[in-house]
Amino acid sequence: MTQYTKVVPGVPHGEIEAKPLVTDPDDPFAPVALRSARRPKRSDLVSQGPLEKAYLFWIVGASCDGCTIAVAGATHPPVEDLLNGRVPGLPRIEIVHTVLSVESGPEWTENLRLAAEGKLDAPYLIAWEGSVMDETVSGEHGYWMGLGEDPADGRQITSLEWLDRMAPGAAAVLAIGTCACWGGIPAAHGNPTNAMGVMDHLGKDYRSALGLPVINVPGCSPIGDNITETAAAALLFLNGLAPLPEFDELGRPAWLFTETVHRHCPRAGYYEEGVFAHSYGDKECLVELGCWGPVVQCNIAERGIVDGHGGCMNMGGICIGCTMPGFPDKFSPFYERPPGALLSTNANRVMGGFIRRLRRLSQTDKMRSARWDGDRDLPSGWGRYKTQPVGAERLVHRLYSRRQHSREGG
Amino acid sequence: MCFKNLPITFDSDGRARLAEGVADPYAVAVAEPKDFVRSAQARSSAGALAAPPRLREWSIDPVTRVAGALAVHTVLDLETRTAVEAHSMAMLFRGYEIILKGRDPRDAIDISSRACGVCGGVHSTVSSLAMEMAFGIVSPPLGTCVRNLGEVAEMFYDHPLHLGLLAGPDYSTAIVSVTNPELVERAAKTPAPHADVHGFRTVKDIMDGFNPLEGAIYLESLEYTRIARTMCTLMYGKYPHPSTLVPGGVSTTVSTSTFNEYYANLGKIFDYAKRLAGIWDDICDFFLEADPRYSDVGLRPSNLIQTGIWDDPAVYDATYANIDAWGQARYSAPGIVKDGELVTTKLTEINMGIEEFVEHSYYEDWTAGWNGSGANPNGSNGNGNGAGRGGPRFAADALGNPLSPYHAWNKETIPRPEGKNFKEKYSWATAPRWDRISMETGVYGRMWTTAMARQLPDNPYIEATGDGLRILLPAHDLPETELEWKIPAKLNAFERNRGRAYGVGFTAAIGMICLMQAFEYWRKGETRVSTPFKVPTDERVAMGAWEAGRGYLTHHLHMDKGKLLNYQINTPSTWNASPRDPFGNPGPYEEAIVGTPLLESVADDDIKGIDILRSIRSFDPCMPCTTHMDTGRGVITREVNSCGCTLE
Repeated sequence: MTQYTKVVPGVPHGEIEAKPLVTDPDDPFAPVALRSARRPKRSDLVSQGPLEKAYLFWIVGASCDGCTIAVAGATHPPVEDLLNGRVPGLPRIEIVHTVLSVESGPEWTENLRLAAEGKLDAPYLIAWEGSVMDETVSGEHGYWMGLGEDPADGRQITSLEWLDRMAPGAAAVLAIGTCACWGGIPAAHGNPTNAMGVMDHLGKDYRSALGLPVINVPGCSPIGDNITETAAAALLFLNGLAPLPEFDELGRPAWLFTETVHRHCPRAGYYEEGVFAHSYGDKECLVELGCWGPVVQCNIAERGIVDGHGGCMNMGGICIGCTMPGFPDKFSPFYERPPGALLSTNANRVMGGFIRRLRRLSQTDKMRSARWDGDRDLPSGWGRYKTQPVGAERLVHRLYSRRQHSREGG
Repeated sequence: MCFKNLPITFDSDGRARLAEGVADPYAVAVAEPKDFVRSAQARSSAGALAAPPRLREWSIDPVTRVAGALAVHTVLDLETRTAVEAHSMAMLFRGYEIILKGRDPRDAIDISSRACGVCGGVHSTVSSLAMEMAFGIVSPPLGTCVRNLGEVAEMFYDHPLHLGLLAGPDYSTAIVSVTNPELVERAAKTPAPHADVHGFRTVKDIMDGFNPLEGAIYLESLEYTRIARTMCTLMYGKYPHPSTLVPGGVSTTVSTSTFNEYYANLGKIFDYAKRLAGIWDDICDFFLEADPRYSDVGLRPSNLIQTGIWDDPAVYDATYANIDAWGQARYSAPGIVKDGELVTTKLTEINMGIEEFVEHSYYEDWTAGWNGSGANPNGSNGNGNGAGRGGPRFAADALGNPLSPYHAWNKETIPRPEGKNFKEKYSWATAPRWDRISMETGVYGRMWTTAMARQLPDNPYIEATGDGLRILLPAHDLPETELEWKIPAKLNAFERNRGRAYGVGFTAAIGMICLMQAFEYWRKGETRVSTPFKVPTDERVAMGAWEAGRGYLTHHLHMDKGKLLNYQINTPSTWNASPRDPFGNPGPYEEAIVGTPLLESVADDDIKGIDILRSIRSFDPCMPCTTHMDTGRGVITREVNSCGCTLE
């Protein structure tokens, strides 16, 4: 599907002899597709699957490189373990990525050509980062995203052309990040490039060489571990060791994106008790500051952003819905309370406020050891006032305790 | 008097104004770009008596081990073994500012962050700074401390990533054994001078460490970027693309653990900074001693532009009126360096000298339809939305300093994709210039301005000596160490990398200053991190300026009725990767490549161009946010015919 015929007007292509292509497989400047065979073979006594290696073509469209940065921060597994074949059962990943590849320019694009023409010595996957921009509206010779020249005539190739040429033969296409999955910010209102997601471009009927539709790992940027874990799960399946991971109706890893981020949010308890933050920096639930967590499918609250650390609401940031197909326009303006929250937060203020008071009441009892019950003061040197309950509160505690222990037969 | 090319003079009170008697002060006389190839061909043929010119064309598309989409077209002269031509091309356009138009200004924080996945934190911060200026609010001191510490951590991940994964492999045994096997032999016999600090016995051991995917330095740098990220998330919540930056401060929920955890990790960075300085000193000195011509690799004039970063919470007040004062109080000084000398540290002067040209970029010149530039009868005089179509919106800033029609506040970019043509248009990057000079920016640039400005407050960790920086790093596993970085005599690939390595120590020392400050405010009970505000509904004009890993970053905004009318982002790699300007002057990458010697000890056909790649990578190119400068009318002009010559 090479519908673009972009030539370079004004450049006397071929007038000067081109620097020769490096093809010696022992030369680090050569395409990795040629060098790969010289890397040491695995010598496992126990078979860990038929697939010893696979190529990963990480290609970008309208991207900020944030997903690349995210995946470099992954720890379960870390990228270097994947690239060096150090994860048992997983094939070694031969990466073709502008940020990581050793080779540049024509040698780099030669890898893509070999893949598109089915000339690689192992299966390949495509990880696409960034939105797909519509190159039919970038003028006859222009481009939104150029990636490599055709060595034959100097024609500018677009990164989208590579997707079109390589997607049919790929073992799987992974859309990495919200831009690649659903269009993301480049596809927001005003969108001058007619940007869209990979699925939008390849269509509902697309199937990879192994029969898979596009796999979507959203997030802006995604959690690094969500990327490497999904890739690892797909590779374990390809290697015949694990079942096909479960994907939901949008092609997302179901085990990562079924739950709302609010359900695992460390501030969800505040919501439950009807306590809300009103200034940036407050420790309570952020919904009234604009947080969309209760409706957003994401796992950052429990997984953190890097090696279990951080996470938006965990640290004080509102959820702006960056994993969702509706991002950003269906969540903006980000710093206004979602209209629906008016009902839900106020309902929770009433109910949660009541529950919260009852809990505090129980808490004052549970803050005392049984030994301290009675008339004695707290033995703590930190105590600044007496905490013995009196009157009605004491009566409530007694009744509560009797109810709690009523089935113990004592 | 810092301006030489723009007709800006200063009166006896130091107020800037346009020189009198200049009819069209910002006139642009377009020059034909120089044809380096033809002249090389002529010289080549003349020298070798009818021998065919020994030129090689090399289209490096894509340039790898840089962030984002960069291509470089170059021509190598094998006779003189130098590069004779270079065109730097930003290959990607996304149209972010079109998307920002008409939005709630606060959304710019999260949207502009997505301009760059590498330096999203600083984009968000600069956006917050611009909004504070626009809204008339200021971050409380602890909020400023949190921002400072977040950005310190961002550098800890940024610099090691470049040194270990992107630039490092160019100096690895794997690569050098192909381009210069004699250097590998020599390295094996050369003891590493800083072996006691970094643990590599010989220079070849260091080069082994740089081997891609497998080398110890390569792998270690990945580990340290993760430590840096965990520090970053303490302040920014999420990385990439922080979630806690807001106008008037941060929304980070700060607790006792926030600063303590940060402190616990900072010690590891102190040691890593000591080791990086030793490693890169040993590598750079080894190459420069082996062949002094390496000092010409990536060489260009020492012209630098820096916007400064890390605010003093006690001085920063977010007003444009005081921007020079709080800019100069930054721990890393703003400034302009011309031919190695510091000519100003005032942000107003930096701001008024900036212009962006699109002669060789895929945009239309927004001034083309105006009836004359500069003194325009229809334009407003500096405080208001002018007639727009008739001339610049702002002939001057709020303080009366003159502004060019090509200034960000006047910019109106109209993208027009077309085929690349080196005589006409060939890049999605614009060509920013200061005083019409091609300026570079980087971590070494901010160390340069800080060293020369000598405006650092009294502190135990950094001393600016005028010709360098003395950086005291506390003990961790390695003992307390003083690093001394000297301003280099020549700005070349090696000094950029060396500066970046020392930059980790520079940043770590600033991290200590900022952390001690944070503890101090925490102790005093000044624990507020944000200031309440309402989005104003009247017309506002503002700018934010801070620095990314690679230096210079500005956001200029113009808003009215609570919505953005214009939002302009200018990034470090837009400066560094810029194409030629209308006057025919190349951008920094182009300048650095042309004249770079090819020092490989191999036959013509085996030349890999490693010294060209070293030159490009030494800038730490970061293209994602270089190429979306676009605040056009929201209309894409299509080509109407196939020859790409549709300019009116």
